[in-house]
Amino acid sequence: MTESNNVKASEVSSASTSTNSRIATADQLHEQQLAQGPLLEVKDLQVDFTSDTGKAIHAVTDSSFSVYPGQWVAIVGESGSGKSTSAMACLGLLPGTGHVVGGSIKLDGEEISGWKPKEFVKIRGSKMGLVPQDPMSNLNPVWRIGTQVKESLVANNMDVSHEKRSKLSKALADTSVQLKDEGDETFIGSKELPQLLEAAEKALVETGCEGAKLEKAMADFRTDWVAGSETRWRVADDLMRYGVKDDDAWYIAKKYVTGSTMEDRIAGLLSEAGLPDAATRARQFPHEFSGGMRQRALIAIGLACRPELLIADEPTSALDVTVQKKILDHLRMLTDSLGTAVLFITHDLGLAAERAQHIVVMYKGRVVESGPSLEVLQHPQHPYTKRLVAAAPSLASQRIVSVKEHGGDASAIMEHKVDTAKLEANDTIIDVEHLTKEFKLPRRKELFKAVDDVSFKLKRGTTLAIVGESGSGKSTVANMCLKLLEPTSGKVLYDGQDIANFKGKSLLDFRRHVQPVFQNPYGSLDPMYSIFRSIEEPLHIHGIGDKKSRAARVRELLDMVELPESVMGRYPNELSGGQRQRIAIARAMALNPDVIVCDEAVSALDVLVQDQVLQLLNDLQAERGLSYLFITHDLAVVRQIADDVVVMQHGKLVEHGTTDQVFNNPQKQYTRDLLDAIPGGKLELGVDLADKK
Amino acid sequence: MASIEETPLLKVDSVDESAPATSMWADAWRTLRRNPLFIISGILIVFIVFVALFPGVFTRENPNYCTLENSLGAASSGHPFGFDLQGCDVYARVVYGTRTSLSVGILSTLIVVFFGSLVGAIAGFCGGWVDAVLSRIVDIFMAIPMLLGAIVVLQMFRTSESIWKVVLVLALFGWVSVARIARSAVLSTKNLEFNTASTALGSTPMRNLFRHIIPNSLAPIIVIATTSLGSYIVSEATLSFLGIGLPTTTVSWGGDISNAQSLLRTDPMVLFYPSVALAITVLAFIMMGDAVKDALDPKSRTA
Repeated sequence: MTESNNVKASEVSSASTSTNSRIATADQLHEQQLAQGPLLEVKDLQVDFTSDTGKAIHAVTDSSFSVYPGQWVAIVGESGSGKSTSAMACLGLLPGTGHVVGGSIKLDGEEISGWKPKEFVKIRGSKMGLVPQDPMSNLNPVWRIGTQVKESLVANNMDVSHEKRSKLSKALADTSVQLKDEGDETFIGSKELPQLLEAAEKALVETGCEGAKLEKAMADFRTDWVAGSETRWRVADDLMRYGVKDDDAWYIAKKYVTGSTMEDRIAGLLSEAGLPDAATRARQFPHEFSGGMRQRALIAIGLACRPELLIADEPTSALDVTVQKKILDHLRMLTDSLGTAVLFITHDLGLAAERAQHIVVMYKGRVVESGPSLEVLQHPQHPYTKRLVAAAPSLASQRIVSVKEHGGDASAIMEHKVDTAKLEANDTIIDVEHLTKEFKLPRRKELFKAVDDVSFKLKRGTTLAIVGESGSGKSTVANMCLKLLEPTSGKVLYDGQDIANFKGKSLLDFRRHVQPVFQNPYGSLDPMYSIFRSIEEPLHIHGIGDKKSRAARVRELLDMVELPESVMGRYPNELSGGQRQRIAIARAMALNPDVIVCDEAVSALDVLVQDQVLQLLNDLQAERGLSYLFITHDLAVVRQIADDVVVMQHGKLVEHGTTDQVFNNPQKQYTRDLLDAIPGGKLELGVDLADKK
Repeated sequence: MASIEETPLLKVDSVDESAPATSMWADAWRTLRRNPLFIISGILIVFIVFVALFPGVFTRENPNYCTLENSLGAASSGHPFGFDLQGCDVYARVVYGTRTSLSVGILSTLIVVFFGSLVGAIAGFCGGWVDAVLSRIVDIFMAIPMLLGAIVVLQMFRTSESIWKVVLVLALFGWVSVARIARSAVLSTKNLEFNTASTALGSTPMRNLFRHIIPNSLAPIIVIATTSLGSYIVSEATLSFLGIGLPTTTVSWGGDISNAQSLLRTDPMVLFYPSVALAITVLAFIMMGDAVKDALDPKSRTA
């Protein structure tokens, strides 16, 4: 093999793992994908679960999709639509009583749907990897991170000293060069790394490289040449780029790149997944990692054996948006360079459209629409997809203008125009002044400042959104406004009165005017109380009306949240999340409050249901002049409902302005990062939404 | 791809009005009704309770009417189980013994559940030093082996002629396990959002405790109560067997087993009948406990 061939190989190969990967052109990629045929082909898949009573529950009734090598395919759908079930069926990992009853799943042309568990073991990890949903529970807390990566390598008998190429990247390389020497794929070992760097420096000096240029080259080498991740031909290639002669470069690469140990490989994998200081991190335990870091470790495990297909089941839905963006950006780069196909499961249409080339929309166990991402977004065919596109908050934030087309019924749709008149009026209902809350942490001397000097005003009849990521202190602020927590310093004024002074009767009176709606629709209703009792409880506590008038009031409230009277005799476990949240709103409205504090009130809901609840909140505000304190992590939702926005980070107020100001002209970097991270925020949508409803 | 006709769009988040309304209890009842374990144990328990209430229906013999001439007599018409060493009718003694065993079991359980859950609920709800003090007291009682403690205490009341002494002793050493369970149930219920919601609606802590927290903590307490009922019956038998339980004049399975132990090799049947009655009764309650646990806590279902 000649050196020039190797140079060429590095130009066309998509196999590099470094950040400046040179990826084959899109056309070449596409051609290769088609030439190789689908990697995974699911056709008319049917999956049943058996219920306690022995009845078959059809979780997936008709699911068909294909994943081509190196392609990102997203399955989008609400909870219960069968998206995860379809994907898990491909891995032979259906939970509980689930089993495939019909259709076919072909991997590389081979039918796998009827396989025994033993046969699946062979392809899991090595051909199909999985990045599970919840990073908190999917790492074993008693093993070190490195051990868990090792488990995957050992289970699949991976050669830790050589890179494994996917068929796609091989094929792409093959179009211009012949197959490379096996030895060229040898990893750098940590032992030889110092010598390698020394030799590289010497070689550079010999070519007459010095001063700043030499410094830069060496700095590049030090960051790029990661033991257990970079291979021999990459080293040679890097050297040649800095002017070392071909023969010398290959001599150095061959002499000093002789293969990595298991430890090197583990660290290499973790650093590929984006964990800094990977060798140290590999010796840590999961509890020492943040959620984002755990997800990176899971990605490292999923990709450890270089599968051709990675199934990512809502990999980032438990993480903050900014972390989500970073992780997905990194995963994209990684899978592109490895030629790995990704089956990406998500509930967020915006995210899917932004990340995947192909979107599959599932509804009630069926695939209702499938096509190239932009095509699906811009010309949705199925009414369900149309509905989804119209409701997705991340997409909605881009089309406030389209509201006007609706003319008369503009108030009925959820897009909300900032009410400047009310904001300017000097009619403050809740006034938060220099609010600070400190918590004592166990085993720590210094106090933890959860909220640090936060001030804002909520004007009557408007919505103020408090936005921040987890741990920003936004919920603590909400609880202090509700007088469920006492502030360490600062005060909350309700209608000009300090709420700290409320006691007994005046407190009861305050409770009547300020009501909460909590995040978790499954936790905020007492499971032992019927819906009637739940809604009636506030009336009961405040001694309002007699039995008959209370029952009438409950009916009225149910009607207000658009639920049939028949739910009165039911219990929370029979209702869906969105219905429970509407019950919670009805309960909050029972006492005719002025202020409702919504603590992540729509975060746990599916997009369409979220849309419905937001509309309800908006309608109630318009009808009754309610003021909302709306706590959320989701900036996309803010755009739909808020007039005023407060951005919080680490307990401090970062930015405060009207929604238009904050979205169109963010002042702080943090706000810009948050806005940037809204999935699908930058997608251009030319959708005709006239037939939205 | 499914066509539009095949997947009609439903109204977003519509309520299925046809489904019957079910509370947690109704749901549990539905599960129970279909559980063979529950049906078998239920029938057994109903039968046992009936025997305890109306022993006269099953036998005309007086269990305390013993004549030595019948000593170890074989089974005969009217005396299906034969006679014991004292010449008492074994069948009649087994029938009348049911009442003793059952009343000791039920009374002990009631007292234990009442005090145990009260202390546990207070400890869990108040937290802080109250919890610390109550929990340490529970720990102290936990450290005393129930039977050993019962023996020591009962030694002091050897002369008492009432079944209450056994009931109280069993309760004295039994309430701690219920207290622990109640405490942890209250602790986990206390932090659920519906309590915060209720507080924000204006309800007082006491209202929260009695209206929301305790009803939601009942399930594990009921489970442990049903299961431990059986074990109290065993404990009573054990104590009577040791001769420090019920007074000798009271007809009880434990006492009869104790009296019959010397006859194990010559007349095993005298020992056999009260033992079987005891075993069936205890088994019935433990099976019932299992069935109730399955119904109230679907997560712990075994199969």
